[in-house]
Parts: sequence; structure tokens; C-alpha cells
Amino acid sequence: MSGRGRMFVAGLAVLVLVLAVYPSFGSGYGVRSMLQLFMWMALAGSWNLISGLTGYVSFGHVAFFGAGSYTAAILITKAGWPWLAASLAGGLGACVLALLIGYPCLRLKGPYFAIAMLGLNEVLRALVSYFEGLTGGGLGLSLPTLQATVPVYYVMGLTAIGVTALTYVIITSRFGLRLMTIREDEVAAEAMGIDTFRHKLYAFLLSAVGPGIVGGLAARDQGYIEPISVFPLAMTITMIVMVLFGGKGTVWGPVLGAATLFIFQELVWAQFIYLHQLLFGAIIIGVVLLMPRGVLGLLQMKYRLPRTI
Amino acid sequence: MSPAITPAMIGQVIISGILAGSLYAMVALGLSLIFGVMRVINIAHGPMLMLGAYTTYFLYAGFGLNPYLSLPISMAVLFVLGAVLQRALVFRVVDAPELSSLLLTFGISIALVNVAQLAFTSDLRSVEYLTGSWVAGPFAFSKPRVVACLIASAITAGAFLFLQKTRLGKAIRATSQSREVAMVCGINVQRIHLLSFGMAAALAAAGGTLISMMIAIQPEMGQIWTFKSFLVIVLGGAGNYPGALLGGLLLGLIEQLASLFLTTQLSEAVAYVLLVVVLLVRPTGLLGGRQT
Amino acid sequence: MTLKALGSSFVALTVLFSSLPATAQGPIRIGASLSQTGTYAKLGNYQREGYQLCIKELNAKGGLLGRKVDLVVYDDQSTPATGVRLYEKLISEDKVDAVMGPYSSAITEASVNVTEKYQKVMVAPLAATTSIFKKGRKFIFMVISPAEVYLEGLVDIAAKRGLKTIAIVNEDTLFPKTSASGTAEIAKKKGMQVVFQEAYPKGNQDFSAMLTKIKAANPDVLAAATYFDDAVAITRQMKELDVNPRMFGVTVGGDLPEFHNLLKQNADYVYGATQWDDQLPYPGQKEFVAAYTKEFGHEPVYHSAAGYAGCMIYAEAVKRAGTLEAGKVRDALLKLETKTAFGDYKVDETGFQTAHKMVLLQWQDGKKVTVWPDELAGGKPRFPTPPWNAR
Repeated sequence: MSGRGRMFVAGLAVLVLVLAVYPSFGSGYGVRSMLQLFMWMALAGSWNLISGLTGYVSFGHVAFFGAGSYTAAILITKAGWPWLAASLAGGLGACVLALLIGYPCLRLKGPYFAIAMLGLNEVLRALVSYFEGLTGGGLGLSLPTLQATVPVYYVMGLTAIGVTALTYVIITSRFGLRLMTIREDEVAAEAMGIDTFRHKLYAFLLSAVGPGIVGGLAARDQGYIEPISVFPLAMTITMIVMVLFGGKGTVWGPVLGAATLFIFQELVWAQFIYLHQLLFGAIIIGVVLLMPRGVLGLLQMKYRLPRTI
Repeated sequence: MSPAITPAMIGQVIISGILAGSLYAMVALGLSLIFGVMRVINIAHGPMLMLGAYTTYFLYAGFGLNPYLSLPISMAVLFVLGAVLQRALVFRVVDAPELSSLLLTFGISIALVNVAQLAFTSDLRSVEYLTGSWVAGPFAFSKPRVVACLIASAITAGAFLFLQKTRLGKAIRATSQSREVAMVCGINVQRIHLLSFGMAAALAAAGGTLISMMIAIQPEMGQIWTFKSFLVIVLGGAGNYPGALLGGLLLGLIEQLASLFLTTQLSEAVAYVLLVVVLLVRPTGLLGGRQT
Repeated sequence: MTLKALGSSFVALTVLFSSLPATAQGPIRIGASLSQTGTYAKLGNYQREGYQLCIKELNAKGGLLGRKVDLVVYDDQSTPATGVRLYEKLISEDKVDAVMGPYSSAITEASVNVTEKYQKVMVAPLAATTSIFKKGRKFIFMVISPAEVYLEGLVDIAAKRGLKTIAIVNEDTLFPKTSASGTAEIAKKKGMQVVFQEAYPKGNQDFSAMLTKIKAANPDVLAAATYFDDAVAITRQMKELDVNPRMFGVTVGGDLPEFHNLLKQNADYVYGATQWDDQLPYPGQKEFVAAYTKEFGHEPVYHSAAGYAGCMIYAEAVKRAGTLEAGKVRDALLKLETKTAFGDYKVDETGFQTAHKMVLLQWQDGKKVTVWPDELAGGKPRFPTPPWNAR
């Protein structure tokens, strides 16, 4: 391991340690905000798994978040499950959903896949509203009041770490290499004997687990969910922008993008309530036009780092 | 808890579906044009429609201009805005992967909506010009929607004639079939891109003007039209211009019939499910993704 | 370099979220998260103005417990998740002395989990959903009448005139849905038959298929549990599809002056439910309307009055308790019975409002006329609503 690498690992360890003890001295809002940041890291990292690696743009990834939220909330309210088990079940639920829709949708190419995913999100929201016996429909689901912010903080943090670690494992494996081959040229990948459909499907399933768990945790933490608040298109867009900003197809890009944009939002949000959205739009345009490979892309070029870190 | 469905009701929703579908077709034709020529899905299409509606509103409220007469003005204003956006921003993502163009136009969309919010506030506005209906037996024909349908059909027909018969229109079709060949034939592709984007924005603006007399005008009225237009062009075949027509009518009818037989809540979901089914059977839409 | 970038981001973040020192015996700071952007922006801003006027008047009279009062407001962008975080910020970071409720049932339902956790009293002037107050929460207090009875007036007038059938539609979110099922209950109790009931998604613009079904069901009364945008859209599309119930009423939106500005003469005969209007014989009513209009340059709506009254009720309870301590203020709020510019205030042991009265108004020749209940009415309802082609 190079000196730079060792420093990096040591820095990471310190960072994780600081974050681990943060709840003992941070304010309630600080803890909740960090929890929110972990959530975005996990979401951005998961989107990166399918879209950053295979190039299949999931324009409805928040569907898995919503599916996880509802799975967990239903298990907690109707079956009395503890929140941790329910959130993990949320991850499983999202994974099952990914299997059901991945089968047809991953056969679609380019913008058709993007739009189909967008549609999936709308369909799910409509179904959740419609089957109100189970979901409460538009009334939403109210979870029993329970003080769980700090435990949820830890699990959310672990989920973010888990997603990032998974990304690292995949990117440095043959499996990841094949996914990237699909991204660069799917026909060539097929010609090389890669079972492209199966690879895409596996990546898709893995990318659904994180949002599912995170959705369950967020539902527990907020205590109240309704269809319009857990299936918002804006959330998918935020994930995408975070990944793009950091650097897509890399391990640290989503983490970096989520942290930077989240801090920016926190700082700007209170000051310029009416301009805040406009600035967000400007950032998107700027990122796409000026740094399509994100901050990490710039750093990689400048310091000749490997393209995948 | 719903009344038994009678033929008269089915007739009524078919009327509503066709009236809505003709507007979808016109607005979606714009989106299809951009996709055909540039392979860009323009998420800012709906907000352009919103700006068209505001143009009509301000001309009506400020100068008392008949909203139908403001149609050419709002189309011209948005033509210019569309061309400017193309020249300034969109041309840079023409050959980029779809993620870049989706996100860029999404950014433009957010910016347009928020500029509208800052400039016009979120207050609802309306152009209360033509309301009510002509009643024939059990059927009601909404006055603003019938007029809008006629005008939209005329504009759509005009756009088709333009694409089929004029040199410029042929150049647009040639560019959408193969940019390289078009270039070899001496077509100025940059100019064609500019023109198509402007035309698309003008078609959206026409939609905005016409619906300003049906629904309340506010900065966020447009986004839903972007998604409807998507559905339309994907159903018909993206980049296939007659496909937009078919897709528009289909979407109008599907939405209305789903609302009638199921519930309003599920109508959009039904449209999307059908979309995925269509795509699985015919991966490039009903009429095929390329114009023949 | 990557490490540095990462590291510095986190340092910045830790600094950002580390707590500020608590303020000592300065002014009393009251915090609230209100929707200033997003779907509820318009109504949230009316509520904010109500709070502001209340605080201004309190300070003019020497403040509260001898201390000046300040208002700290954040924008929750009309989303529950943001509301939750903002209350957390107000209480744990800004260390405000007291909080007031946000706009809308959904945001209150989410935010109340935070205020309960910190045992902060929250008077929630614009949360109308009964279930919020029936979950064993201790520190939340209701000011307005519950969602379920919004359209009681409409049903009452209809039943008294011998109308038999009603169709009910609602936006599929917490408040309208609760309101719709409440209306159905009341209608059944009064012997009316619900012949059609359907929900539509938030943001829906096309009601034609739904209205076609309603036309076929041919109800005497159409009750719509709406917000403002859809109240306007449904009225317009009823005319386009020639749907002619003998009475048509909406929950929210029909009471705003903009309803008539947008629909012009087509707003006539529409019934709108409201918690309050500026003609009612409540104490301090006229002074409130005058002061509000002077302060903000436009007239108050019920959201303004409810915000104003909610804040005044909280202040009154603090005065009686003689302290800001949550337990004592809570007891005072439970015992308090008063009449404000907004009407009566009295709650049961769960904090659920029991005294305040809804009113029903009707648009008549471009003017709002209070037509129900009889003891507050300023005029008679124009009944029945003539068919569109006979106007």
C-alpha cells in the first residue's frame, strides 16, 4: 500500500470514530442532520451501483426507498415488528420488487429504461394510495411514538458504510469489470460471452437493497409516512445529481457528492428560501456542462489517480 | 360506490379522451421533434408550455387581448426562447449519453419554474374567456376544449405539411434519419437543430395558450405535461412523428377509460403499465422509433 | 487530496451542527416551521402573518411575562420530513422557548413527534385532523374545528330541504380524506344516501371522467373535500360537463377571495366551508381585521385568524400559568375557556377542540354570504343552484 493510501485509510478510520461518538455530544438537530446525510450517501451509492456502473439510468430509484418505507412501516404497525428487523425486511422487499420489475424493464434500452423506471415510481405511488386497507392510502401510516433517533443514526451510518464497501468490492472484482464493459459497449460485452442480462439484473438487485433499508429507517425516524412524501421524483434527481457531482462509476464519488451537496443545501436553504431551488437547477446545469465526470473526475485527471476509486 | 356504466358515459369519456388527446398529440409532437433530430429528451418541455400559458395570461389581463389571438405571439416568444436555450446550452449535450441530456434539461426545467415563481409568484391565474359546454343529448362538449381540439389539430396538420412538403421540413426529417448523410447532402445541421428546438417550444407554447382557458395557470402546471408527452412519444415511437399523433389519442383515451372503469387514482398507473407492455412487445413503440 | 477534501467537508459539517450556546433571560423566542414555498405556500404565509400580528400586539402590550417576544420562522417547503427536521433544529439548536404549529395536518402529524419528545407545548392552529390528537400525545392542542365537520353545514342545509342523495370526492391526502369520510358519516346520520365516493390523486388536473360518473349518479348534493387548486378546477369542469347538482360545496378554497377572482360569475352558488370569516360577531373581530389589513395590505382569511388566535391562546395560557414551563402551560391550556377574534376555544382532556364552530358561506353575486349556522348567518342560501344553462 502506498503512503498516500495508508494516510487515506488512517483518515477514514479517524472520521468513522468521530462520527461514532458524535451523538454523545452533538445536538438533536446535528444528529438528525448527519443521519440525513448518511441516508443520502446510501441512496447515491446505490444509484451508482446500477446507473454509474452499467450506464442504465434509473429515473425512478426512489421507488425502492418508498417500497422499503412502506414494507417497514406496515410490519411495525400491523405486525408489531421491531424497527431494525422491519427495516432490513424493507431492504428485502425492495429487492423483491427489483426482481419483479428488473425482469421486464432491464430488456429496455437507453431512454426507454429511464422512462419505464420513472413510470414504475408513479405506478407504485398509485397502488399504495389505492390499497388503503394495508397502507392507509392518503391518510398515511403513523408509527407509534418511539425515541429512536440515535440507534437509527448508527444503523443508517452502517448502511452508508455497507453500500460504499459493496461498491468497492464490486468495482474491484471481475463482476464489476463486466458491468463496466456493458456500460461502454453492450453489444461487444455480449460478443465476449458476458451474460449481460444476468449481470444487469444482479447489479439492479444490489442497488435496490440500500434504498429499501434506508427507506425503512427513515420511516421509523420520521414516524409518519404518506404516499406523496416517500415517492417524490425530486429524491431520485437529488441522488443522481449527487453521484454526478462526485463522480459516477467510482467508489468515493457518491460519498463526496452527497456530503458536498448536502452541506450546500443546509447552508443555502435557510438563507435563500426562494432562490434555493433556482441554485439547485443552476448546479445541475453546471455539473453536466462543466464537469461531466464530477469532482473526482477532475481530481483523477489532475493527480493521475485510477478512474474507479 | 359508483353508478353502473352506461353507453352514454362511455361515449362521454371517449369525447373527453379525444379532446384531451388532440392536445397531447400537438404538445408531444414537439418533444418527438427534438428527440428525433437531436436524440435529446427535453424535460423542460412542460415548463415551456407553462410560459406559453403565462404569455397568454399577461396579454389577456394586461391588454385585454383575445386569448386565441395571442396564440401566434406566445408561439413566437417561445420559439425564440427555445432557440436561445438550444444555442446556449442544449447543443452541448446533443451527442452525449442520455443521462447528460436528461439532467441538463431537468436543470433548465427547475430554473424556468423557479424564475416563473419569482417573477409571477405562485398565485393561480386564469383566463376566464370561454367556459361551459354545448350539450347534445346525453353528451356535453366543453367549449374551450372543442375549440382547443380544432386549433391543435390545425396546428398539428400544419406541422406535418411543413415536415412533408417544404425543403426545410424535409431537411429536418433527413437530419433525424441520419445526421451524417444530411451533412453530406449540404444540410446545415446546426441550423436544423436550432429550428427544431424552436418549433418544439412553439408547439408547447400553443398547448399552453389553449389550456390557459381550461385550467388554472401557475408555475408548476407544466411538469405533468412533460411526463404525458413522454408517454405519448414512447407509446407511438420516439422520433416517429405520426407516432406522436397516435400516441396522443391513445393516451387521452386510456386515461379517461381507466378513470371511468377503475378510478382517477389509477389512470396514470394504467397508462404507464400499458407503456411498459407496449415497449416489451415493440421495443421502439407502436409505429417504430424511426420515421419511414 | 481526496482525503483532505473529504476530511474538510466533515470538519465543516461538525462545526456546522455543533450546538450554539443557549440564550439566557433575553426575549421569549417562539419558533415555528411554516410552508413558505411549495404547495401550501399561500396558506402557510397567511398563517405566518397571523403569528406575526399576534406577536406585534403582545409586544405593544409589554410582551409576555414581562419579556419581549420574538418569532423564529423557517420554511418547510410544504414537506413533512423537512418540518420534522426544522422543529428539531428550533428546539435543540436554536433553543427556542416555545413552538407554534406548522401549516397542514400532514406536517403537524410528522412534527409533533419531535415536540412531544422534547415535551414542548405545541398549539397547532391549522391541524384539523382528529387522529393527531387521539394518539395519547400530551402537549399538542387544537384550535380549529376538526376536518370531519367541515361540510356539516352543507349536509345540514341539504337534509333540512329534503335532499336525499350526495356524492363525495376528495384529494387523496390526510386532511381531505378525513374530511370526506366525516362528511359521509354526517350525511348517513341525517338520512341521506351516499351515491358516489371517489378519491383523486394530489396534483390531478383532469376531473372529467370522475364528473361523468357523478353526472350519471345524479346526486342532489356534490361535496368536494379539496384544497384550493382542485376546488377551482372541479367547479370549472362541472360547467364544461354540464353537471348540475342542486348544491355544490368545497372544504378549502371556496372561502378565499381568489376563488371568485379566478372563476368570476361561475363562482356563484358555490358553498365554501370555513373556520371563520370577517363578518362574524366575535370579540375583537373588527379590530383584528383592521389591524391585519393595515399591517399586510390585504384582508385576512381563516388561516390568518386561526394563526393569530392560536398564538393569542398560547400567550393567555402562559399568562395564567405565570411560567413557560410546559407542564403548567399544558394545565392552563386544558382548563382555558375563552372567546377570541376567531371564536370559541375549549379542549377536552386530549387537547381536542370542542367549542369552535365551522361556518358555511355561499358566493352570491360575487360576495361571500354566511348561510350557516343560523345563529351566525348573515343571509339565506340561494337554493337550489340553477343548472349551468339557466344562469
